[in-house]
Amino acid sequence: MRTHQSDDELMSEVARLVNVLDPMPPGLVERAQFAVAIDSIEDIEIEVAQWANTNMLAGVRGGLPGTITFFVGDLTVMVNVTRTGERQRIDGWLVPAGAHGVEVRVADHGSTATTADEGGRFVLTEVPRGTTQLLVRMNAEQSRTVVTPTVDL
Amino acid sequence: MTEVQTASMVKPWEGLEGRDRHAACMIAAQAGDRSAFDVLVAELSPLVWHVARSGGLDRTSAEDVVQTVWLALVRHINRLSEPRALAGWLITTTRREASRVQQRGSGQVELSSEITEQLPTTDPSPEHEVLRGERDRQLWAAFHQLTQRCQELLRLTVLAGRAEYRAVAEALHMPHGSIGPTRGRCLNTLRTLYHGDSGS
Repeated sequence: MRTHQSDDELMSEVARLVNVLDPMPPGLVERAQFAVAIDSIEDIEIEVAQWANTNMLAGVRGGLPGTITFFVGDLTVMVNVTRTGERQRIDGWLVPAGAHGVEVRVADHGSTATTADEGGRFVLTEVPRGTTQLLVRMNAEQSRTVVTPTVDL
Repeated sequence: MTEVQTASMVKPWEGLEGRDRHAACMIAAQAGDRSAFDVLVAELSPLVWHVARSGGLDRTSAEDVVQTVWLALVRHINRLSEPRALAGWLITTTRREASRVQQRGSGQVELSSEITEQLPTTDPSPEHEVLRGERDRQLWAAFHQLTQRCQELLRLTVLAGRAEYRAVAEALHMPHGSIGPTRGRCLNTLRTLYHGDSGS
């Protein structure tokens, strides 16, 4: 029976599966629009980091706090998220260590900034929950800024 | 970018469709109009998504690639001298980014586990009604055995039913007349894989 399936019929089956099984994730457009809405983005040299260990991250993206890691080039950033009531505390560690600037942007909640200590550690408390993006401004290279794709925390 | 247009002004892309609309958005975005960039993200993210997924990335990594591609565009927006070439630039950049993620070894997914994850949708779900059981499972598995280019072409053909994707052929850098035959060959391969898997 299937042997007689025409190209058009097969194509419409493919279309149905692609649309049903593999649509863009809900909210992706809004998250991408938020991710690019960085102040003065045209004046800074950005590098986009990659989240590591996506299996673990799938849990985080489901709304569970935990440890996540991202990296780009020689920079690795480990981030531990702890719920504190309605908000959360973010403990981070940058390697190689240095007094880099760290900013956390949360959609509809502005941003929170701090500076890592000489050992590369930083802490941000009372961070609102939501679509979150991290920016690291490397202290040694004024123009180098690392940004992450957003993650829902 | 700074907001250079006021809300009361008629946007230059209004009333336009497809590539003309996105070229007008590009020009406005290059002049600093963030709402123009947001239109591009809203309307062309499906293109970027399906190219990333054709490259074999899992859904989480594909979403990261979509965001990375838009960040690259906003950063390099003034280097694109031909606004009408945007779709082609997006496809090329997405392929490169997806292959970079793959080479890092993260984001790759075993087809079998992904199908297990996607197909038995949780009841009650509207998707459940649309799925037709074993036949769908076999067809989806066969689809993922196609080459990256075939998956890309078929996914973009699905998108091409919509006005903003009329430039798909050009964006794929394929001569206009060769899209049909190439698509036909991809469908033939799919048909063979599909029937091979069903044991008939």
